[in-house]
Amino acid sequence: MMELKNIGVRFSGRDVLKDVSVMFHSGEIIGLVAPNGTGKSTLMNVIMNYINPNSGKVILNDELEYTNKKNEVKIHQLVSMMPDQSDLYNQISGKEHLKIYSSMWNSQPKLIDETIKELGMSSYINKNTGTYSLGMRQRLCFAMQIVSDTQVMLMDEVMNGLDPTHVELISQILVKKKSEGKTVIVASHLLENLEKYADRIFFMKNGELIQVNDISPGFDVREITTVRVTDVTDTLKENFLKEFPKTNVQTLPNGTTLIDVQGYGSGELGNVLAFLKANHITEVNFGKVTLGDLYSMYYQEG
Amino acid sequence: MWPYYKFEFYQFITNKKNIAIYVLLLFFSCYYALKIAPTYDPIEKVDESEIEARFLTREEFLNTVVINDGTHHFTRFAAAIFPEWNVYDKGRLDAIKQNDLKEYAEATNKWYGYSDKMIFTRGNGVLFYHPRYYTFGNNYATMDGHYAYLYSASRYKGYAEGNSKLSINVFEERTALQTLQRLLHSYLPFILIVSCIFFTVDIVLKDRRYPTLLQGLPLSDWKKLIVKGAVSLIGSIGALVPLSVGLLIIGIQSGFGDFNLPVPIYFSAEKTFSNILLGEYILQNMLIMIFWFLFMISLLLLASVTLKNEFANLLVGCAFVIGELTYFGRGNGIFWDVQWYPTSYVQVGQVLSGYRNYLYNSEALTIVNGLFVMGLCTGIFLFFTFLISNHRKFKLL
Repeated sequence: MMELKNIGVRFSGRDVLKDVSVMFHSGEIIGLVAPNGTGKSTLMNVIMNYINPNSGKVILNDELEYTNKKNEVKIHQLVSMMPDQSDLYNQISGKEHLKIYSSMWNSQPKLIDETIKELGMSSYINKNTGTYSLGMRQRLCFAMQIVSDTQVMLMDEVMNGLDPTHVELISQILVKKKSEGKTVIVASHLLENLEKYADRIFFMKNGELIQVNDISPGFDVREITTVRVTDVTDTLKENFLKEFPKTNVQTLPNGTTLIDVQGYGSGELGNVLAFLKANHITEVNFGKVTLGDLYSMYYQEG
Repeated sequence: MWPYYKFEFYQFITNKKNIAIYVLLLFFSCYYALKIAPTYDPIEKVDESEIEARFLTREEFLNTVVINDGTHHFTRFAAAIFPEWNVYDKGRLDAIKQNDLKEYAEATNKWYGYSDKMIFTRGNGVLFYHPRYYTFGNNYATMDGHYAYLYSASRYKGYAEGNSKLSINVFEERTALQTLQRLLHSYLPFILIVSCIFFTVDIVLKDRRYPTLLQGLPLSDWKKLIVKGAVSLIGSIGALVPLSVGLLIIGIQSGFGDFNLPVPIYFSAEKTFSNILLGEYILQNMLIMIFWFLFMISLLLLASVTLKNEFANLLVGCAFVIGELTYFGRGNGIFWDVQWYPTSYVQVGQVLSGYRNYLYNSEALTIVNGLFVMGLCTGIFLFFTFLISNHRKFKLL
């Protein structure tokens, strides 16, 4: 369990993190979503104590804080951050990297072979990382963190450079780690993917951490709340509102129009669909507001 | 810590700069062994024709000189001192002809002792040491000759009294171990210390190329620094490996010598020489060299956590290597307590042989003082590094 208490970070007079307070629990995957340069990495760096915050503190398991170097080592035994693929040692093999991390964290050596197998890295793991593609390097970095086997795992842009198969593979491993009781904090731009496995998702804006549920209550409710339509003209929107005056309609900057059908019965939903069909709208999606919609609403509007 | 040590050591031995240093040392070592060492031309060598020429000239003089009231006092002086001198030269010549090297050593010991006594105390501007000491611009030729003759007297006394296998190469200090001794007396300590500086300048700062991989390792910055220092120390000692290849070549060419050969040590208080065993001398040199490595490594670790710049580290390290040049002067030990400056011990072999005391006219440049000064400085550097690296807000990278 990790608590961030009133974390504040200022760079050149600008608040990068403003009084951030949040609790991360064991067995939880946390998603961090925000455009580049809004403080995701800074937040992770503060959690790792790579950056000293101007205010606030990080508390691990209700007892450990970065009050001295001894505690820093204790926290680093329990909290790790996925290395960046550009920081790999090109002249040594992937397996050596895994061995180094495994021995540094004194984790189970068998985890190395298990992870290699799980991530399908056997064919190249003994080659120097200088010969790896971006995706291979990214998988190795992920594997390094997995073999460190810490209680809290921080992953910044973990899915970068991965093909859909490996995105899915890594997602499954993250879910497995969650089931082992790990706290996994993932910063990612793959919103659809994040939405699938994250227990809580936070947006970051103006130095603040905002849970998605606070922006869109009922975001994680599993029922039809929204009809998503593309290519809706202003005239069609006006006609729709004349036909369904009590319905909320919102067009996002990404061109998607959301029709709020929360609480609608099957008959009302059928009417909406009939109207759209009559107006030659073919791209219709019944479901709920997606993370992508919220992202567009939150970051791209005005 | 062990896994981190192995990782750091692996990085050290695969570091291209470090490999380049080892290759350069190997090249230097082989070049020295094959090209420079064979051309070594000592002033005090075994030169039968020179001895014979001197002996016959003096013998001729003694056989023909007539001493009476009108004889010039220099002629009287020569007639008085040459007979004993010639006894020693005759002894040397006979020994060489009979290939009795023990006898040669004994006679040569006496010859150097007597020669120095005559030249240094009674020379009066008419007796000189070997002409090669009197080179252009050397204002201390007599002092150099005096030191060299006493050194040689002591050395030959050691050969005569010792059990080592003697040879001309041993007399001329050409064997591998004696070459090592001579190099420790000249520029080998510089080479080793500068190598240590080059090994250490980036041992901390190289990690800046891999920040996300190394920052979060569960090991304190202080322990990381200690491990890095240990790796650098091992690597610096490892510099002896390529250098030993050269010694091996010299050994094959000129013999290896042995660890029981004598090394004259000058005691400035008594102004005399006393021999120690070559093995002991080399061990003492290694001990001081290790203290130099520790000194340099701790200094550069401190510089790495404060200045955070490889070039600055290099400058700081080199400043200590050449620092002695700023105050060195023959006889300066009378005015300054040079023994309290760590830079005074950079000429390791010369300090241990007492030659540095002879030059400074000091009695205090001793192995004990050297170990104390460098140990104290190392402790101070490490203490400040410890304080800085344990500060809550300190970041190694």
